[in-house]
Amino acid sequence: MRWSRALVLVVLFVVAVAVAWWYTHRQVALVDDTIVVYYVKDDGTSLVPWRVSLGPARDRASVAFYAATQCVAGPPEGTEAVRFPLGTRVRAVNVVGSTADVDISKDVASSAEGGFAESAEFKALVWTLTQPSLHVTAVTVRIDGARVATLPGGHLELDEPLSRSSF
Amino acid sequence: MNRSRVRAFSRSAAIAALVLFAGATGARAQDRTPNLWFQGTRLNFAHAVPMQGDLAVSTRDDGLRRFLDRLGASVSYQPQQRYVVITAQDRRTIVFTIGDPAYTIAGVRAQAPFAPTADGGDVVLPFFALARALYVEPVQGSTETVLQPRIGVLDVRSDANRTFVTVRGAMPLVTTTNAESPDRLQVSFTGLGSSLAPSRRSAGAAVDEIDVAVGGSPRVPTTTLTIAGARGTTHRIVPADVPDAFTVVFEAHGPVAQAAPPTPPPLGSSPPTATPDYPPGGSPQTPPTAAPPVVAGRATVTDLAIEPGAGDSLAIRVSLSGATAYEWHRLADNRWYIDFENTTLTGPGRDERPSFGAVESVRMRQLGTGDAPTVRIAFTMTGEQRVDLGPSDTGIVITVFSQPADDLTRIGTGQTGGVPVMPSATTFEPGAAGSPAPWKYGPATNPKLIVIDPGHGGADVGTMHNGLTEKLLTFDIAQRLRSILVAAGWTVRMTRDNDTDPVSTDNLSRMHADGKPNADDRAYLQTRCDVANNAGARLFISIHVNSAPVESAHGTTFYWYKPQDAAFAQALEKSVIPVAGTFDDGTRHENFYVVRHTTMPAVLIETAFVTNAGDVALLHQPSFLQNVAQGIANGVKAYAGVPSANALSQQ
Repeated sequence: MRWSRALVLVVLFVVAVAVAWWYTHRQVALVDDTIVVYYVKDDGTSLVPWRVSLGPARDRASVAFYAATQCVAGPPEGTEAVRFPLGTRVRAVNVVGSTADVDISKDVASSAEGGFAESAEFKALVWTLTQPSLHVTAVTVRIDGARVATLPGGHLELDEPLSRSSF
Repeated sequence: MNRSRVRAFSRSAAIAALVLFAGATGARAQDRTPNLWFQGTRLNFAHAVPMQGDLAVSTRDDGLRRFLDRLGASVSYQPQQRYVVITAQDRRTIVFTIGDPAYTIAGVRAQAPFAPTADGGDVVLPFFALARALYVEPVQGSTETVLQPRIGVLDVRSDANRTFVTVRGAMPLVTTTNAESPDRLQVSFTGLGSSLAPSRRSAGAAVDEIDVAVGGSPRVPTTTLTIAGARGTTHRIVPADVPDAFTVVFEAHGPVAQAAPPTPPPLGSSPPTATPDYPPGGSPQTPPTAAPPVVAGRATVTDLAIEPGAGDSLAIRVSLSGATAYEWHRLADNRWYIDFENTTLTGPGRDERPSFGAVESVRMRQLGTGDAPTVRIAFTMTGEQRVDLGPSDTGIVITVFSQPADDLTRIGTGQTGGVPVMPSATTFEPGAAGSPAPWKYGPATNPKLIVIDPGHGGADVGTMHNGLTEKLLTFDIAQRLRSILVAAGWTVRMTRDNDTDPVSTDNLSRMHADGKPNADDRAYLQTRCDVANNAGARLFISIHVNSAPVESAHGTTFYWYKPQDAAFAQALEKSVIPVAGTFDDGTRHENFYVVRHTTMPAVLIETAFVTNAGDVALLHQPSFLQNVAQGIANGVKAYAGVPSANALSQQ
């Protein structure tokens, strides 16, 4: 009797773990044909949403990567916006549960432009990745695959998750 | 021969066979690879396979990497997902999707001969399609294929009495002025070919006509542009911010007689202009760097031509002057429409019935109000036909095919004619940053102590622009502030007393112990915080000067993080701005290291921008630096009172 009760408890535990794993790792299908990419205006704070079309790939991993690359590329030249330094590219975006881990090339540090630019660039990136359709609420950052405290001589702390309330 | 020798012999034979096979197939692939030349040198790929008129090349191929590097473009791809994004030097994105031959250039859809495929952690792309998207055209010769950089953009934009003409090439421009008079300019661009129409009649206020002529050889082409201004105009060349752009402005003096809008051609007939066909991935327009900013209503639809397209299709050519963003929709009842935002129609609306079986009617209308004009072009199809959007020399071309669509995407967006007009009406502030997490901090054990942190120092110079160096300015202001505060009775400690980089021995050893990459920054910044935390200081003030990639950014900003910082930041704002005379950039909640990791009220002040002309003039004046220091001291007094009273209250 005691053994069967223990067995039931073990089975329940395994099921609970499996459900939790599925919930955090499930691929959320996206149905929208467009996605919102944000950029920050020249004042360093005002966000502008910019709708861009998606290609046929709609799985969350692909769309998150696409959104991040569009954000880092920024709006076309001539539009008043604070941009990531030219040559900066997104190496990877991994989404697990509600956190997106973004790996950006070290070109991001090529122009030590002070707190103004750092803040505006990462604000745009975080707002882009935390849009509701991606089901992401926090963004962690790597530079060339490594966790860093800040950019060189920088201001914004990057080795803890960023969210919309960070800005 | 024993068993182990047999085994060794078999293994050697297998490896030898594999090497021979790989060598043979490699040689065959190499033989079939076109003889490619780019910028006077042979472009070699490790693995390139001709496929359906294009060339399949891996993104990891060194040849492709070198090609993209020389164009200032970069590839972003991550295994296990499907998008491959190439960012051009002018910030356009070229987006391929694994398994789909359709791709986009700055949002405009194009079709490649074959779909990109994933190959482990790598992707094989259609190289010629990519090159064309980067304004590089493969020109076939008898024994070689020259990858010819071209002029990708000829953007003409006008305001009341000026017309800006901007040329943008695949590579930095080598410009020669051939002939010049006030109302006429002829310039040549050596090394660049062109697919632009040979002549363009401008709808601009100050330019009548632009002629484009291409000469030279495929390897060294020259494109010559002749711009004829309106009578009585003068021109000047605008210095470009980027080397691959050239801008000239023609200006009319006095009233300008506007040219009559072109008469619409009869529908269903051949177009009057011999517009060259753009290859897939042709040249969508990109913005100039020195032209006036786009404002609502700047773009105009100047013409609509409906004509038979290639194969069994109908081409609807929309001529646009100026920049615009667009959004298209496919409706369930076989209607399709495209809206050009902030765009006006130069002529009346149109209702047409083209002689093409799959399209019943085409309509063009002016919609929206004066503040937000929109031009809509709509058509009704007989079924769910395939519709392609592509760039054309004068705007955009919509091609409707008689066969049904494979892709029934319902909505899409893009830009054409230069800078996209962003939806300014939807600009918004996200609002307050929310409630920061509770922050643990203790009372100041040394309530008379204020720690001043002059930003940067030593090898870390901070930002440098216009003859100003951040680390020197911050130290100058900090010294002035120290004098004022000491005179007021405060005890002051600086995180650095000279031009050094303050990293404590403890933090350095911790840095090596935790093995975190780039931990110098943590140790370096933590040392500054430790000076205040370990001493139990009452306040922490970090002094910086700001810089931005945009010249317009200016003013003084007060950054805070912890809840108790906010009131201190506001006190400093109220005191510094009136004394310093800078623009009030406000107080901002930011995740900045030194304000986050200090345990007392702390503020990081970005005093002014070294990248803004007005602020630069101020930062060169010692009186301004003194005023900033005085303003901060006033703010300290407003927030914390005088040291003696404060010390008593703390005790």
